[in-house]
Amino acid sequence: MKFLNLRYDFDWGIPFREPYVGWLITGVELTFLIAAVTTVLSLLAGTVLAVLRTTRFKFLNIPAKIYVETVRNIPGLFWLLFFYFIFPQMLPFGLTDVLNRYTYYSVVAGILGLTVDNSAYVSDIVRTGLLSVPRGRIEAAVSTGLNRFQQIRYIILPDAFRAILPPLGTRMIHNFKNSSLCMAIAAPELTWATQQVESITFRGLEVTLLATAFYIGISLFLAILMIRLERFLKIDVTSMTQMRN
Amino acid sequence: MEFLFEQLANWRFYLIGAYPNGPLTGLVLNIVLAVLSIVIGLFFGILFGLGRTSCRGYLRHPCGLYVDVIRSTPLLLILFWFYFFLPVVGAKMPLFWCAVISLSVYASAYQAEIVRAGILTVPLGQMEAALSTGMTRYQAVKLIILPQAFKKMLPSFVSFFNSLFKSTSIVYIVGIVDLTRTGVIISQRQPNRIYAAYICMAMGFWISCYLLSLASQWLEKRLGILDYESYKPEICRQDLVLLPLPKTVKRLLVSHK
Repeated sequence: MKFLNLRYDFDWGIPFREPYVGWLITGVELTFLIAAVTTVLSLLAGTVLAVLRTTRFKFLNIPAKIYVETVRNIPGLFWLLFFYFIFPQMLPFGLTDVLNRYTYYSVVAGILGLTVDNSAYVSDIVRTGLLSVPRGRIEAAVSTGLNRFQQIRYIILPDAFRAILPPLGTRMIHNFKNSSLCMAIAAPELTWATQQVESITFRGLEVTLLATAFYIGISLFLAILMIRLERFLKIDVTSMTQMRN
Repeated sequence: MEFLFEQLANWRFYLIGAYPNGPLTGLVLNIVLAVLSIVIGLFFGILFGLGRTSCRGYLRHPCGLYVDVIRSTPLLLILFWFYFFLPVVGAKMPLFWCAVISLSVYASAYQAEIVRAGILTVPLGQMEAALSTGMTRYQAVKLIILPQAFKKMLPSFVSFFNSLFKSTSIVYIVGIVDLTRTGVIISQRQPNRIYAAYICMAMGFWISCYLLSLASQWLEKRLGILDYESYKPEICRQDLVLLPLPKTVKRLLVSHK
């Protein structure tokens, strides 16, 4: 490495020494935890919002639209800061005290903030999926005697989710990457752990390199997984008609 | 409520900070960062996007690798890379330019994807026709393919600019005083105005992003990208033709979402 004239000598022992390796492992665990919980929560919230946005009742329609328009036009970092600094203040005093004393409140705030941010995008994606379901499907469901809830549950949502799987997968990978923003509110996830190692040992490059490799690896793995899932869930119409014949 | 008005009277600090007498901060810094990085990113994005659609493997695979790696790295880590790695190599740079470089690297990967998608929408016959009229490949790409592709790409560029503008708030973490940091500073300096400071911060982002999304909707309508009729399944249009309705009503029915 002489030709680059680096002012840095790599010490690959650092990420594997005792206090640091513990932080990094906790960081990886928390990154996975935050990403998984926000994925599930924002899928649920986004689906409910999308169904509300496609209904004809203005009582349900307009609040959902206001929520999505508000959240989509404000950066995710704001929601993290909001849930960490402002949200406990808005609660009654006893609850504020409990939340401020809770050691891992930063993780909870991170999960809440990322969920709020992500659910708006998910609801937009799901909504396009719902609108893409052909009208004839819904009419067929009505004529077989399914009620409104059953139509949504058994006919519209499965169809819509097949159609939107690629953008949804991209959004979830984006959400996984966004979990690194939680370091702004000192949730001890992977990026925060690398910065902690950097600020104590002044040797951040090795750890940052490892963290980058981790994020790239998991993102590519998730991308491949989504492609597999897409292929697995695809309904092959031609083969079905052939089978019937 | 009066706290909010008091903060709104302080709009200069949220917008430009102490600009003529001091460093530029606040919302305008976010806009400057986003504009600079999207322009630099556009240049490299076109290069990488053309590289990704190239038929030569030694161009296609490195460009694909670059785009995949950057797209699967969090923006925060890209920022840290330029923040920590540039001094190690020996290049000292102001914090502002670190942020610009990392945002442009991030933008170039995403814009390469947009450019690639735009180029793929141009029919292959266009390229063949251009080549058969005696153009070189460079001329064909510059005069025939890219102008057609750009029309398709423009709405995606505007919506990506919107998301990049929101992403610029990340520079808060490395200590650049953008709108987020301004709001946080005010909320820490005056703890009794914490709500007003956060509302102002959110409003700054909301208004600028909402204007941008309006612009992108206008562009989509203007360029005729959202042609609902062509997205309808074939059978719906045939059903409509058979219905005994006036033509204007049918048109309303078809163009309705």
